[in-house]
Amino acid sequence: MKGLMQSIRALMRLKPAQKITRDYLISLLIAVSLALLVGAGIMMITGHDPIQSYTALVNGALGKPRAVGNTLAKTITLCLTGLAMSLAAKAGVFNVGGEGQLFLGAMAAAVVGAKVQGPAWLVVILSLLAAMVAGGLYALLPGWLKVKWKVDEVITTIMLNSVAIYFCSYLANGPLKTAERGIATGTDSIMKEAAFTPLIKLSNLTTGAFYAAVVVLIVWYIMTRSSVGFEMKLTGENDTFARYGGISTGRLMLWSMVFSGAICGMVGMLEVFGLHKRFITTVSNEFYFDGMLVAMIMRYNPFGVVLMSFFFAVLSIGGKSMELSAGVPSELILIVQSIIIFFMAAESGIRTSIVNWLSVRRARRRAEKEGA
Amino acid sequence: MQSTTNEIIRFEHVSKQYPGTLANDDVSLSIHKGEVFALVGENGAGKSTLMNLLYGMQKPTLGEIWIKGSRTGAQHNPESAMRMGVSMVHQHFKLVPGFTVAQNILLGHEPKKGLFYDEKAAVQRVRDLSEEYGLKVEATDTVRDLSVGLQQRVEILKALRTGADVLILDEPTAVLTPQETEELFVVIRRIVDEKNMTVILITHKLPEVMRISDRVGVMRRGRLEKVLSTAETNEREIASLMVGRDVIFDDLRTDQRAGKAMLELFNLKALNDRSLPALNGVTMCVRAGEIVGICGVEGNGQTELAECVAGMRTPTKGSISLCGREVTGQTPRRIRENGLSYIPEDRMSMGMDAKASIAENLLLGRQRTKEFSFLGLHLKKRRINRHTKKMVHSYDIRTSGIDELTGSLSGGNMQKVVIAREFEFDSPVLLVCQPTRGVDIGATEFIHEQIIQKRNEGCAILLISADLDELFRLSDRLVTLYDGRITGEFAAGSIDKESIGYFMTGGYQEVSAE
Repeated sequence: MKGLMQSIRALMRLKPAQKITRDYLISLLIAVSLALLVGAGIMMITGHDPIQSYTALVNGALGKPRAVGNTLAKTITLCLTGLAMSLAAKAGVFNVGGEGQLFLGAMAAAVVGAKVQGPAWLVVILSLLAAMVAGGLYALLPGWLKVKWKVDEVITTIMLNSVAIYFCSYLANGPLKTAERGIATGTDSIMKEAAFTPLIKLSNLTTGAFYAAVVVLIVWYIMTRSSVGFEMKLTGENDTFARYGGISTGRLMLWSMVFSGAICGMVGMLEVFGLHKRFITTVSNEFYFDGMLVAMIMRYNPFGVVLMSFFFAVLSIGGKSMELSAGVPSELILIVQSIIIFFMAAESGIRTSIVNWLSVRRARRRAEKEGA
Repeated sequence: MQSTTNEIIRFEHVSKQYPGTLANDDVSLSIHKGEVFALVGENGAGKSTLMNLLYGMQKPTLGEIWIKGSRTGAQHNPESAMRMGVSMVHQHFKLVPGFTVAQNILLGHEPKKGLFYDEKAAVQRVRDLSEEYGLKVEATDTVRDLSVGLQQRVEILKALRTGADVLILDEPTAVLTPQETEELFVVIRRIVDEKNMTVILITHKLPEVMRISDRVGVMRRGRLEKVLSTAETNEREIASLMVGRDVIFDDLRTDQRAGKAMLELFNLKALNDRSLPALNGVTMCVRAGEIVGICGVEGNGQTELAECVAGMRTPTKGSISLCGREVTGQTPRRIRENGLSYIPEDRMSMGMDAKASIAENLLLGRQRTKEFSFLGLHLKKRRINRHTKKMVHSYDIRTSGIDELTGSLSGGNMQKVVIAREFEFDSPVLLVCQPTRGVDIGATEFIHEQIIQKRNEGCAILLISADLDELFRLSDRLVTLYDGRITGEFAAGSIDKESIGYFMTGGYQEVSAE
């Protein structure tokens, strides 16, 4: 967690980019290749065959239908959390509290899914709504503090994470603890018929993917094609200008935060209905922070977030099986991820100095030619 | 190379390359002892860069600089420049506000008594200096309490302390009132005539060039276009050399009757960012078809006045009515809807989003209109692009394309983007602040024409500017603002630039009946 927070702080300095340019993609490609190379170097030092290990990684992530399913499921989680981060960051608010919103969403969905009686589709819809409302409302508080009193939302959201996580943990251990045998900490299981069914046998990929796809499309549309997205972009880049131009920046920031929280709540619901069928205290393992990293590396560009989520999912799922089959510790994957972040953070500095050096050299040459 | 007898500074084929721009391009120039040399050019023409090279703040990419017959080497820096007798007063003062005049002037070279600062000796030294050069200052005053003109004197004395005989002044009159400018010129003339010093004046105000300089060097796009003897040239020739084509400074106004009051302020009071009173009861009105210019030394409430009118700042008292409707304290959005367009003084932080494209900057305020969006939600990209191209064409915005980031445009073209956006709303009331600050002559001319055209179409225009020439050229009525109060109101032509300075610095006129 500590290392993660440091990466996040480093990346926080990177402002959202205008758009993903060709230069940026090239830098990204170089960063990824260099990171993989460094990873290979470490493997060699520790006595593993890099080619064999990377093959094991790719096979582990994409070799079998079940592996593909798991990788895609991971992609969806990263992607939704990454987009939640991007949505708020685009409007200039940093929602670092997605983890807490996710927990509350999961809890709300689990409660509704277990208590409400009715047709399965209705239970699903109600649980989804409950999760989104829970996550959204939980994001409303820091958003309101930010807009009304200029309280730094990074701090409040981080702190509210713990409040939500421990609150849910208390519920799952106390008042809402299930009476079922064999469940240490968790709530009652949700209505059986309402749970999502796997799309690929034995994998984590379920029908929940369709809900996720709809949300991804909506977020992508809002951010890139709509007037609201345009207003968010201007607010995030220069809120004085946005206000001057007649945009209600406060309201916009607040809504971005609420939607961001709602998406996080939905991720919680997808976990509960797809995987655990109830709320358990390990419903998320810092999923939101992984998503944040992806969002920051791709500078809050929605399409980029989708692509990078897939790459990180491959690393994460494949990393585990690499550990099993090639004996390479999965921590190595964390190193590779950190190096990518490192290079991306240094990217603009490196590129600027190269461009400067080139232009000075060109001018000198031209002057010499004219002088001769 | 042998230098001629009275040559004091020589540039030989000097070029300076910045990343992306050639700031100085093969400049050769010699400056004589005992002259006032004016260096003129538009913004970005390379005047300041050239002087920074001389003063050792930067190093030339190519070429050589000679001071008093000796070549400045790679080690040249402000310290060595000062040792060779070259001193520079920057546009932005570098004074310690809480120190006294004496402490500021002698900073780093304080006379000591044992271990301690010797106040008496310091005051005496400053008095001697002040007498020697005829620059009157009070050695024991605290710099914070001095007017801008006096602060500048302190800066000049600081520059002269080391016994410099070449003084570079970078845009010295930009912050001065006409009276203060006049006093500065007297000082310059005196140190040149009596002390046989050399003064290099960086400026873009042509009347001042004609008034004070002996010779003038005109720079354009990094090149030294021509060096002229001031006595043998005129403003028009210099201006066309600066711009590279003929410039016509004609009076653009056509006679027109002012219509009904469109913008009325009544007893408006407001605080500044530090919660100190900035506006102390301003009452005024702007009528349809007239331009009202606000004259004042910067920091006398102009910024706050504009922000209150635009809804960016909440007045503490008083009222604002726009097109007959009360809009006091409403949001910028509501005020815009009620018919105000606003060109803010600070275009980088309020007037535009430097990180957004020209198309996006021009779209703000229209993103939910039927013309540019479907149901107020889906942006019609093609319409937007077509509109942007039209604006780029009709406002003559020089750009590599409509997707170019606004922040990479030149000052003049940025301002044209702001003006294009605001003027196209066809609002009946325009609030125009510092429309040509940092804008080159060519674009200034264009912007002035646009403002006048708006007036002739019947808009009510409130113009706030620090540039008196601009105010006098455009305004139908002039209002002086001092310390958040209106100190005078004049019809165009009823007062000249010299006399208005009295009201800009606190002189008071019995407010004439409307």
